Amino acid sequence: MSSPDTATAVRPARRLTIARAIAEAIGQEMERDPDVLVMGEDIAKLGGVFGTTTGLLDRFGPERVRDTPISETAFIGAAVGLAAAGMRPVVELMFVDFFGVCMDAIYNLAAKQSYFSGGQVTCPMVLMTSVGGGYGDAGQHSQALYATFGHLPGLKVVIPSNAHDAKGLMLAAIRDPNPVIFMYHKALQGMGWLGTVQRSITDAPEGDYVVPLGKAKCVREGEDITVVSLGLSVHQALDAAGRLANEDVSVEVIDLISIAPLDRETVRASVRRTGRLLVVDDDYLSYGVGAEIIASVCEASIPLLVPPQRIAFPDIPVPFTPVMEHFVLPNADKVTAAVRQMMRISN
Amino acid sequence: MTDVTIPFGVWRADDEAAISAWLYADGDAVAEGAIIAEIMVEKSSYELIASATGTLQILIAAEVPVRAGAVAARIV
Repeated sequence: MSSPDTATAVRPARRLTIARAIAEAIGQEMERDPDVLVMGEDIAKLGGVFGTTTGLLDRFGPERVRDTPISETAFIGAAVGLAAAGMRPVVELMFVDFFGVCMDAIYNLAAKQSYFSGGQVTCPMVLMTSVGGGYGDAGQHSQALYATFGHLPGLKVVIPSNAHDAKGLMLAAIRDPNPVIFMYHKALQGMGWLGTVQRSITDAPEGDYVVPLGKAKCVREGEDITVVSLGLSVHQALDAAGRLANEDVSVEVIDLISIAPLDRETVRASVRRTGRLLVVDDDYLSYGVGAEIIASVCEASIPLLVPPQRIAFPDIPVPFTPVMEHFVLPNADKVTAAVRQMMRISN
Repeated sequence: MTDVTIPFGVWRADDEAAISAWLYADGDAVAEGAIIAEIMVEKSSYELIASATGTLQILIAAEVPVRAGAVAARIV
């Protein structure tokens, strides 16, 4: 990850879950900038069902930390208006699956504000939302929908894979003059009932720092194949890379961090060296992140040793039954098998 | 050596709790007062605080049911 372990040499380690990192970033920015406020369902008294706003109500009070009724249409619409008037709202859409009732405010109002006004009225809002399945919550609470948002001009879309990046991305997102969709994966939040990927709990500086929006990172260097991933699939790719190293396959892992803007150059530079490309994400397959990455590499005429491949969620709703859900979700075994197959036919 | 104990009286005694995440690994250096783990009870989260400065020895792994009073870790 981007949290350098060497940094622990100069100050004591301080490990955070992604949930804590998000809450810490919002709190620090509320301290610094009186225009920042938070709204959403169960974000005040409860601290967010995914822990993203823990402690903020006690520190900043109900004027700036507002529990809303179950009406995304109303409070996300209100956030767009607040942003146009110069505030910096952070709103939580509890599950991205609920975007249907508030999408007009997001893609017709927030995303177009700056364009339609010639840049005179911007929309500095952050919409944070939980994504992903794997814990038996079925087809209306388990979707990723990265590409749905990445497809729409005027929105920035980021997905952290660890606590260090989550904090720096949130600080960057709140300060950005335009709308940022901040997608956090439930399996990385550090909430027990969702399972926790230990690697997502990282050291993060106590102070102020930003992780730039729109920049991908190479999180593991390798020579034989590039695996492009985001959010949870970064960890699946890293797990697979660890196993494949024992088979003398050297896997490079890219963490996209952001899909809009998309850092095509970092991906291309890697694939130019390795000559092989696999993309892993847990959003629906068709018209998705994998297709966009593969197109970006092919358009640049980068010679490939084997046809590029993608692992994603098949084009069906997420099943409720755990056995069926895990059968279709991406995982480290599927990544490992795909890499082996690609190496076999190209060696 | 100091025991890190799951606290009494923070949640209803008959509710099952579990450490949802250790924020530090076994053998890591921890500072007194640092949040070293999160405990999950019925979708509410509680903090486990380091009672001393030293090296963390984890005795109860994450996602295992725990009761108040159990010694979750030692700091040596």
